[in-house]
Amino acid sequence: MRTLLKIVQRYSNFLVFLALEVAAFMLISRNNAYPRSSMFSTANSFIAWQYEQISAIGDYFSLQGQNEALSKENAELRNRLSELEAQLTGDSIRYKEGKVVQMTTKKLHNYLTINRGSRDGLVRGQGVINGDGVVGIVRTVGQKYSIVLPLINTHTNLSCRFAKNDYVGILQWDGKDCRFAQLTDVATHIDVQPGDTIVTSGLSSGFPGGIPVGIVENCSRKEGDSYYTIRIRLQVDFKRLRYIEVVQNMNMNELEELRNGLD
Amino acid sequence: MDWTSWLKQFGRYIGVMLLQVFLFDQLQFFGLCHPYIYVLCLLMMPITLRHNADLCIGAVAGLVMDLFSNSLGIHMAACVLIMFVRRYLLSFLINEHDRLNEQISLRAIGLIALLEYTIILVLLHHGLIFLLSAWSWHYIGMVILETLISSIVTVSVIIGFNALRYR
Repeated sequence: MRTLLKIVQRYSNFLVFLALEVAAFMLISRNNAYPRSSMFSTANSFIAWQYEQISAIGDYFSLQGQNEALSKENAELRNRLSELEAQLTGDSIRYKEGKVVQMTTKKLHNYLTINRGSRDGLVRGQGVINGDGVVGIVRTVGQKYSIVLPLINTHTNLSCRFAKNDYVGILQWDGKDCRFAQLTDVATHIDVQPGDTIVTSGLSSGFPGGIPVGIVENCSRKEGDSYYTIRIRLQVDFKRLRYIEVVQNMNMNELEELRNGLD
Repeated sequence: MDWTSWLKQFGRYIGVMLLQVFLFDQLQFFGLCHPYIYVLCLLMMPITLRHNADLCIGAVAGLVMDLFSNSLGIHMAACVLIMFVRRYLLSFLINEHDRLNEQISLRAIGLIALLEYTIILVLLHHGLIFLLSAWSWHYIGMVILETLISSIVTVSVIIGFNALRYR
């Protein structure tokens, strides 16, 4: 026993080092895909608040462009509203507007923090869009702030389809350029042309179908490969992203329950 | 060291973290350049505490940075590693032990040793962070490039800081 104690004493530095590293790696492997805790991430109120102050400074410099975009979007929304009011289908989708508090675009795993949280009715899995198209998916929800997994994160998979012929593919990002993503799982017998529009498929509960995602930039196929390599120019300009809307599908719980029932 | 100089160290840490979060994290220049200048505080911390305490300080500083970058654990692992290595590295770089009084600065250890010390530890720290955040060998080329470019900026900031203090 005494010798054991002596050994522990002698190597205490190394043991502390080892313990701390093990703790760090446990944290990393738990949070590998995305930050799981709203407390220990940028969804933390104190940290998000600080980022909000920074982006408030940045806001002054982009006010004019933002205002133009907003007024344009407002008009468009009003049109859509009147259309919907005429139909009165009892549709169950609501849009909650919000602001980007912090985001990165140049890393492999980019995240954005928005100033909407559980008190605004956000839950994990809801879609996030802006006036141009799809931004990402709500991942970690705090009380006032949430973390969104944007399309430009190598962990993101989004089911999309071609607007012209309804063929479905999966959108992924290769970590290189925040303007482009890749569409995979599209078989080569399908007619794909540069300029084709890609929209959400509506197969996931987060997004209704038909929201613009991107435009085919170019497509190629390797010899003997039965799938295309398609490069998509994303509709959303992530570098200038400031205002977003969260898609709140009121039937989401029901959809999820149905889906869970299937498994 | 008395408590006022520790207070100074802490003040410096707050200042450097503000610079890190409000300036260096915002720039994201060139896409491959993410300098983590906050290691300045860890590298320049005088060696007066016990080694264990050093490790814990590294862990806390890493965790704080992790909170700001949505990467729980990654900065912690890197900071603990450099805090562990730095004593051995210093005694290896500076042969005459009598010259090594607790301070680490341009005046105390000289330019060559300071450069070697900074470059090795910053490369280690940045390399581990980018490798862990990629979490795959697939991006190894990008990780190496990112490490080199970011380290150049961080090392320049640290050497610049020391040069200013020396003046």
